Amino acid sequence: MIEYKVWFGKIYKRNSELEVIKSDDFVESFIESRCEKLPFSLKEISLKIFPSEEEYYSELRRTAIRVAEIEVEKELKSSDRYIISLLKALDEIDLGINLFSEKIRDLEEIRTDKTTEEFRRIVGELKELRKDIERRISSEASKLMPNVTELVGGVIAARLLERAGSLKRLASMAGSTIQILGAEKSLFKAMSRIKKGKKAKTPKHGIIFQHPYIRTLPKKLRGKMARFLASKLAIGARVDYYSGELKEDLAEAVRKKYEELRG
Amino acid sequence: MVKKAELEILEEIAPNTFMIRYDDKKFLATKSRSKPHYGEKKYAEFREWIPYRSKLAAMILNGYRIKLKPDMKMLYLGAASGTTVSHLSDILEEGVIYAVEYSARPFKKFLELSMERRNIIPLLKDASKPEEYAGIVEKVDFIYQDIAQKNQREIFVKNAEFFLKENGEGLIMVKARSIDSVAEPSEVFSRFLSEMEENFTILKHGKLDPFHKDHIFVHVRL
Ligand SMILES: C[S@@+](CC[C@H](N)C(=O)[O-])C[C@H]1O[C@@H](n2cnc3c(N)ncnc32)[C@H](O)[C@@H]1O
Repeated sequence: MIEYKVWFGKIYKRNSELEVIKSDDFVESFIESRCEKLPFSLKEISLKIFPSEEEYYSELRRTAIRVAEIEVEKELKSSDRYIISLLKALDEIDLGINLFSEKIRDLEEIRTDKTTEEFRRIVGELKELRKDIERRISSEASKLMPNVTELVGGVIAARLLERAGSLKRLASMAGSTIQILGAEKSLFKAMSRIKKGKKAKTPKHGIIFQHPYIRTLPKKLRGKMARFLASKLAIGARVDYYSGELKEDLAEAVRKKYEELRG
Repeated sequence: MVKKAELEILEEIAPNTFMIRYDDKKFLATKSRSKPHYGEKKYAEFREWIPYRSKLAAMILNGYRIKLKPDMKMLYLGAASGTTVSHLSDILEEGVIYAVEYSARPFKKFLELSMERRNIIPLLKDASKPEEYAGIVEKVDFIYQDIAQKNQREIFVKNAEFFLKENGEGLIMVKARSIDSVAEPSEVFSRFLSEMEENFTILKHGKLDPFHKDHIFVHVRL
């Protein structure tokens, strides 16, 4: 017997017999429904419990809207935090990988045995997990902030989000703030040196400095590129917060600027 | 005295879809009982359909027509805030549009549209996981896809396997940059087309310039 969870209940298939059990809560069964490709027609079966097509569609539409209302609010409330905690997990895994790799080196200098092999296996698994989490971050980031993600990729987008605290806060920042986001520590250091009358360089780049468009430019052009990228990020974050639709020309402009500077 | 503006239907393109002339302005529009959705103007009962905002409008204005019937069942992947879906909802007056979008913010606005229209079923789902809506979406006549993703071909094929009727059709909007950010667009497109040919008959493909740069539409049949 095979069970199919459809939005209006459960369908059981025995040989070629189909039995329909109607759900007493469509919202719940809609949310839980999940199945492989159906070997029968959903619409035809539905007419065993709905008196007409019209009633089928109006119940379906009502339920879909109700579920969508619930899920959209849930998603909007939690996705900032979800991405931030995924990012923290990523950083912790990196720490773990480094720690274990060091241990392996230490041990191997003395001798290779079962324990080092075990460590190697764990590092391998951590690297797999790291890849998974990175993919997750990218896909969640492109849902929450498609423009920022298109501009700098999922992980850097997530770091900006983490520094800002939320998309709302990121969306309220000026480009000049976004440009040094993540460089606050060195900025404070520089400021306090300056206050004491000492010489100090103010930092030009924060998190966005990790982006290849900046890293691969000659040093003297990096500030210019960072400023440009940050100004587009500020626009992108705002669009992400207010409409969430991709603006095609932002990434295009950044690419052009990079090509122009690189020469 | 101000001359009264005149509205003239120049051509019927699809059900409820017309080329309109209003004063000196010539434009594509759908006949609609609803209010504007994305800042487009409404002249009498005609809602202007803006090609810079909708790739389907761009395709039509570039001269290509697909056959749409008022009672069609359609699966729409990548609804965003519902710009194009709003016009399809005018066209498929007696049909049903199952519309999938996975990003919550644009979806919120799309949800408002779904509440105003009787023929839209909104689904906050990931189009790469049809298992999650296989118990909701029935077999459809048409799949429309505009998701700008690297693996959009695989996603389309998977959805067609699940939901497309025999001889059903599909329309896919392809953005070169999202499939390959460095290769020449023409190369990306010809690779895409030859891969699509493994599963579908390609009825037509063409550019969406000047409205959408480095994009093509691909019209297929199963
Ligand atoms: C270019 S926009 C679509 C515009 C829309 N078709 C219109 O013309 O009004 C692409 C949309 O696809 C959505 N998208 C991308 N990948 C998706 C997926 N795997 N599942 C669902 N939606 C997806 C994005 O969130 C974005 O809103």
